[in-house]
Amino acid sequence: MTAIAWTRRRRALGRFWEQYSRQRAGVVGAVILVVAVVVALATPLVSDPDIMDVTKATGEKMAPPSLEFPLGTDESGRSILGMIMWGSRVSLLIGFMSALLSMVIGTVVGIAAGHFRGWVSAVLMRITDWFLVLPSLVLALVLSAILGGGTSTIILAIGITSWAGTARLIRAQTLAVEARPYIERSKALGAGHWHIMSRHVLPNVAPLVLANTTLQVASAIVAESTLAFLGADSGQASWGGLLRGSYDWGAATKGAWWYILPPGVCIVAVVLAFTLVGRALEAVLNPRLRGNA
Amino acid sequence: MTKWLARLSALGVAFLLVGQGQTALAQNPQQAGKKIVRIGSIQSVDSLNPFKAVRLISGQIQRWTYMFLTTPDPKTLEPSPDLAESWSTSEDGLTWTFKIREAKWSDGKPVTAHDAAWTFNKIMTDDAAKAGNGPAVENFESVTATDDRTLVIKTKAPQASMLDNPIPIVPKHVWETKDVGTYEAEDNPPTNGPYIPFEQKKDQYVKLKANPNYWRGEPNVHELQVIFYENPEAAVAGLKKGDIDLIGRLAAPQWEAGAGDPNIVQWNTPGRRAAYLQINHGATTSDDKPVGDGHPALKDVKVRQALHYAIDKQKLVEEVQNGLAVAANGSIVPPMYKDFFWEATGEEKVTFDLAKANQILDEAGYKKGPDGVRTMPDGKRKLEFRFSIHTDTPTEDKLAQFLTGWFKEIGITLTTRKLDSNKFTEETGSTALFDIAISGWSVNPDPEEVLATHLCSRRPTPTGEGGGTESFWCNKEYEDLYQQQLKELDRAKRAELIKQMQRNLYVNAPVIAIYYPNNLELYRKDRITSITPVPEGRPGEGILYGGVSGWPMYSMDAKPVEAASSAAGGGANTGVIIGVIAAVVVLAGGGLLLARRRKTAAEDRE
Amino acid sequence: MTAPIDTPIETGPAAVEETAAGPRGLLRYAVTKLGGALLSIGMVIVATFFVFRLIPGDPVIAYTRDVPLSPDQIALLRKQMGLDQPLPQQFLDFVVKTLQFDLGTSYEYRRPVAELIGERFGPTLLLTGVGLVIAVSLGLWQGTRAAWNHGGRFDRLSTGVSLVLWSVPTFWLGLLLLMVFGAGIGPIPGMFPTRGMESVDAPDGFAYVLDVAHHMVLPCLTLVAVVYAQYLLVMRSSLLDEIGQDYVTTARAKGLRDDLVRRRHAVPNALLPTVTLVFIHIGFVVGGAVSVETVYSWPGLGLLFYEAIKGPDFAVMQGTFLVVCVAVIVMNTLADVAYHILDPRVRST
Repeated sequence: MTAIAWTRRRRALGRFWEQYSRQRAGVVGAVILVVAVVVALATPLVSDPDIMDVTKATGEKMAPPSLEFPLGTDESGRSILGMIMWGSRVSLLIGFMSALLSMVIGTVVGIAAGHFRGWVSAVLMRITDWFLVLPSLVLALVLSAILGGGTSTIILAIGITSWAGTARLIRAQTLAVEARPYIERSKALGAGHWHIMSRHVLPNVAPLVLANTTLQVASAIVAESTLAFLGADSGQASWGGLLRGSYDWGAATKGAWWYILPPGVCIVAVVLAFTLVGRALEAVLNPRLRGNA
Repeated sequence: MTKWLARLSALGVAFLLVGQGQTALAQNPQQAGKKIVRIGSIQSVDSLNPFKAVRLISGQIQRWTYMFLTTPDPKTLEPSPDLAESWSTSEDGLTWTFKIREAKWSDGKPVTAHDAAWTFNKIMTDDAAKAGNGPAVENFESVTATDDRTLVIKTKAPQASMLDNPIPIVPKHVWETKDVGTYEAEDNPPTNGPYIPFEQKKDQYVKLKANPNYWRGEPNVHELQVIFYENPEAAVAGLKKGDIDLIGRLAAPQWEAGAGDPNIVQWNTPGRRAAYLQINHGATTSDDKPVGDGHPALKDVKVRQALHYAIDKQKLVEEVQNGLAVAANGSIVPPMYKDFFWEATGEEKVTFDLAKANQILDEAGYKKGPDGVRTMPDGKRKLEFRFSIHTDTPTEDKLAQFLTGWFKEIGITLTTRKLDSNKFTEETGSTALFDIAISGWSVNPDPEEVLATHLCSRRPTPTGEGGGTESFWCNKEYEDLYQQQLKELDRAKRAELIKQMQRNLYVNAPVIAIYYPNNLELYRKDRITSITPVPEGRPGEGILYGGVSGWPMYSMDAKPVEAASSAAGGGANTGVIIGVIAAVVVLAGGGLLLARRRKTAAEDRE
Repeated sequence: MTAPIDTPIETGPAAVEETAAGPRGLLRYAVTKLGGALLSIGMVIVATFFVFRLIPGDPVIAYTRDVPLSPDQIALLRKQMGLDQPLPQQFLDFVVKTLQFDLGTSYEYRRPVAELIGERFGPTLLLTGVGLVIAVSLGLWQGTRAAWNHGGRFDRLSTGVSLVLWSVPTFWLGLLLLMVFGAGIGPIPGMFPTRGMESVDAPDGFAYVLDVAHHMVLPCLTLVAVVYAQYLLVMRSSLLDEIGQDYVTTARAKGLRDDLVRRRHAVPNALLPTVTLVFIHIGFVVGGAVSVETVYSWPGLGLLFYEAIKGPDFAVMQGTFLVVCVAVIVMNTLADVAYHILDPRVRST
C-alpha cells in the first residue's frame, strides 16, 4: 500500500515538475527566489554582523561603488552590499512569516466557512468580506502604531490584514470538493466534521493554498517596505528600512544612486519572482483558474 | 506595435508640454514689481489662533504678525521695547508696570493696554486658551489695565524672566466675540506686527502682507508666503528650482544638498538647542517616593560618570550631525548664549576614554561576567539598560547605534526602545519607565525656563501627573542656586549663578549633554538681497528662520518679481494652454477617428 | 497593498449565491446587501472603539501633553471626555457621537476631527478618483488587447510591464519620479511641482484647473502605475474565459468579424467581474494614496493620517480610519447592487 502510494506521489511530482518547467516566467521567478533564499541563509557564514555596527564602519560616508564596497556605502560608511545581504534575512523572514500567518487564518476560516452551513458560514463570511474590503494598509498602520514597533508586530499587522482573499478562495474550493460524491459516502459512513475537513478537504485545497501563499509573500514584502517608509519599522535593517535610511539621510539630493536603487531593485525582483512563481503554480495546480494562460 | 509607440510618444509630448508650463503657471501677472519671499516649512501650520497653536512654525508666524510686550534686541538679545515702550518694577519685584505704545491694529482700531490685559486674563482664566502659552502666566497673580496706556502685572513670586514673555497680544474687540477653543482664525483677524496674514489654506500655505502701520515702519518685502512641504527632500528640490526662497531648521543631509549651487547661501551658525541624555538616577515623585522601574546601577553617580566617559561626542557630531554641531563640554545651555554658557575645564572635563570608563566601573565593583557584561556589585543584576528614543527620528536612531557599540566595550548592554511622543513624554516625564532617554531643549535668550525643568517641584505628583521635569532631578544645591538667581536682578551676578547650576548638572550627570546642533538654513541670494540674523552683527552667528524674534523677516529685502519675466510667463502660459488643448484634441480626435474607422468597417461587414 | 495580485475572480461577487428573479428579487437583494453593509459599518465602529482603547497610556495625558494642569483640572477633563464612565456607557456614548458625526477633538490641532477630515476629503477624492479612472481605463484596454492577442508580443509586453510595476513599492516609485521629473536630474529639467495640489499664487478660472492638473501629474502617475496591473490581469483572464465559451465560437462560426465579436459579446461579459473588482479594491487604492500623498505633500486624508501616526494624534487616526473604512464599504455595496442590475447572467437566473 505505502509503496504504491509512494510511486503515485513520485509520479505526480514528476508530472507537476514537467508542467511547471513549461511555465517560463515561473522558472525565472523560481531561480531568482532560490538565489535570494541562498543569499539570506549564507550571509551569516560569509559576513560578520559587525559590518552593521556603526562604530566599526570602515568606509567613507556615502562613497560611490568601489572594489572594497561593490555597492558603495551608506551615511555611516557601512557597505550597502552587506546591509542588503543582512537585510534580505529580515525582509524575507517578515514576508514568509506574515504570509504563513495569513495562510493559516485564511485556510482555517475558508475551510470552516465552506464546510459548515448556516450561521457559522454566514458569520465567517461576513467577517471575511469585512476584512477584504477594508483598506489593509491603513489597518496595518493603525495596528503597528498601537502595538508599538518590532518584528513580531509587523508580522502580526500584515498577517491579520491580508488573509481575507485566501479565505474566499479556499471556501470556494472547499465547496467544490465537498460536492464530490466520495464525501457523501464518507459522511454516510459516519465521518465527523474534523475527519472530513482534515482528511479530505485539506489535502485537496493544499495546492491552492501553496500557490496563494506564494503570492501572499510578495505582497507582504511590499507591505513591509511601505510600513517601514511610513515609520512603522521592525527595528532591524530590512530592505524597506534601507530605503527609509536613504530617504532620511538625503541620498537622492546627494546623487547617491547606489543607496536608493539597489534595495528597491531587490524588493522589485523578489516580489516579482514570488508573483511569477505563484502564477505559475496556480496555472499548473488549478488549470480551471487560468485555463488559457 | 507602431501605433502603440505613436500613442506613447504623443503622450510623452503632452507630458512635456504640461511640464513646460510649470514656472509660467506659478506666476501671476498682477505680482510684477512686488517683492515676494517664499519660505519653505517642513512643518504644517497647526493653527493661526495663538491661544491654540503649539508648533514652532506657528510660533514663528506669531513673531512676524504680532507685537509682544517686549522683544529681544536684535544685537544683544536683551529685552527691548515692542508693545511696551518702557517698564518699571516695584521694590519687591512683584509688580510690573508697562507703558503701552500708541499703535493701530490692521483694521484701524487703536491698540490699548486693555487688549494686553484681556489676552493675559483670557489665558489665566480659560483652560481652552492655555494650550499655546499656558505656562507663561502660571506665576501671574493679576493683570490689569489702569488706563489705555498702562498695564500692571502682579506676580506670585519674583520673575526675572518677565521680559521674555512669549505671548502675542491679540485685539480684544475681535477676540472677545470668539470661542478661543474652537476659533481657527480662518478669517485672518487683525494683527499689529510687521506682517498681516491675509490668506491661508490648510496643509498648503499661509500668506502674509506687509503692515504699512507697523511701529518700526513698513517692511521692505511686500509679501511673505509660508509654504508647507511634508517631504524635506522635495523642499530642498523646490529651493534649488526656485519654487521657494528660504528654508530653515534643516537636518544636516538636506542642508548639505544646497552645496554647489552658486545662487544658494548655506547658512550654518550655532543653534539654540542642546541635545542630551536623561538618566534615570532613581526617579521620585514630588513627595520623594520612588517611581518607575529605572535600573538600580544608575543610582550610582560612578556608573553615570562612566557612561559619560564612554561617549565620543566629537564622533557623534561627525557621524550623526554630519559635523554640523558643536560637541558639548558643558550642559543644557548652548554656547550661542555667551553670557550664560558654562563649559567644563581641567580635571572636571570628561573626555572620551573607554579605559577610564572601564576602570571606574571596575573600581566601583561592577565585575564583568563570562559574557563580557558587567553585573551589580551584589552579583544579582546585569548592567543591561534600555535606551528610549522617539519613533521616526533618524538622528536618534543613529545615535543609539553608536551608544550601543561603545557601551558594549565597557560591559554594558544597551537596547533601544522606540516610543511615540505621547508614550515617550509619559514614560520619561511622569511614570519613569526608562533607564536612559534622549532629550533636548531649545533655549530662549533667558534660560530660566530650561533651568526650571530640573527642579524638585517639576517632578510628577504622587497621583502621577507630570510636572514637566526633564530629569527627575532634585538637588539641594541646585534648588538654592535657582532661588538665588530668581531674585538676582544684576545680570552678571545672575549669570554666574546660572553657570553654577549647569556645573551641578554636569558633575552629577542626571543629564549628559551630547552636542549643540547648528542652526542650518538655506536661502537663494538671487532672490533675497539682504537679510540680517538674530543676534545681528556677530560674524558667523545668528538665526534667520526659527530665531527668537521676527527681526530677520522684518529687515530682509528681496528682488521684486520682474515685470519682463512675468510678461514672458504670461505668454508662455497662453502658449502652454493652447499646446495642451491642442494635444488633447489631437489625441482624442485620433482615438475617435480610429474607433469610427473600425466601426464603419465592422458595420460594412454586418 | 496586501491584496495578492491574482485572486480577484473568487473575491468578486461572482461568488454571490443568492438568486433573484424580477424586480421584487432585486429589491430583496438590495435590502439584503444594505443590511450587510450596515452590519459591516457597525463592525467598523465596534472595532474602532476597542482597537483604540488598547492604546497604552492615558488619553488625558496625551491630550494635555504640553500643558501643566492641576489634579482637579485633570479630573474635570476626564469627566468631560467621559472617561470616568463604565466601559459599556463609554461605548454607547462613542456610538451615539459617531452617528452624529462627532469624531472627537484632535490633540494636535485642537479642532473637531470631523472638520479636519471634511477639509481633506476633496483632494483625496480628486486624486484617487482620477487615478482610478485612468488605471481602470488603461487596465481594461490593455487587458482586452492582451487577451485577444493571447500569447502575442503585446500580451507578453503589457503583462510583463504591469507585473513589474505592481511589484514596485509605491513610495519608492513616487520618490524616484519626484527626483527625476520634479527636481530634475542631469539633462532632464524639473518639469513638475514637488509639492501640493496647487501653486501658492494660483491663477483663476481655467488656468487654475490646469495648475491643479499640473500638480496632479506625478502623484497620479505613481498611483496609476502601481494599481493598474490588477485590472489588466483580471480583464485579461476573464476575457480568456469568455473566449473559451461556446457562444464566442458560435459567433465566430457565423462569420462575424473578430473585432465585433470582441466588442459586442466577449468584452461586455468579461467586463463585469473587472468592474466589480474596481470597487472591491478601492481600499487598496486608498492605501496607495497614503504613500503618494506623503511623498508629494498632497493635502488629503492620506497625509492627515500619516501626520496623525507621526504625532501621534489618536483622535485623528481613529476618525480617519473610521471615515475611510465606511467610505470603502459604501462604495463596495453600491458596486454590488450595480453589478446585480447589470450582469445579464445573474439577472436571467
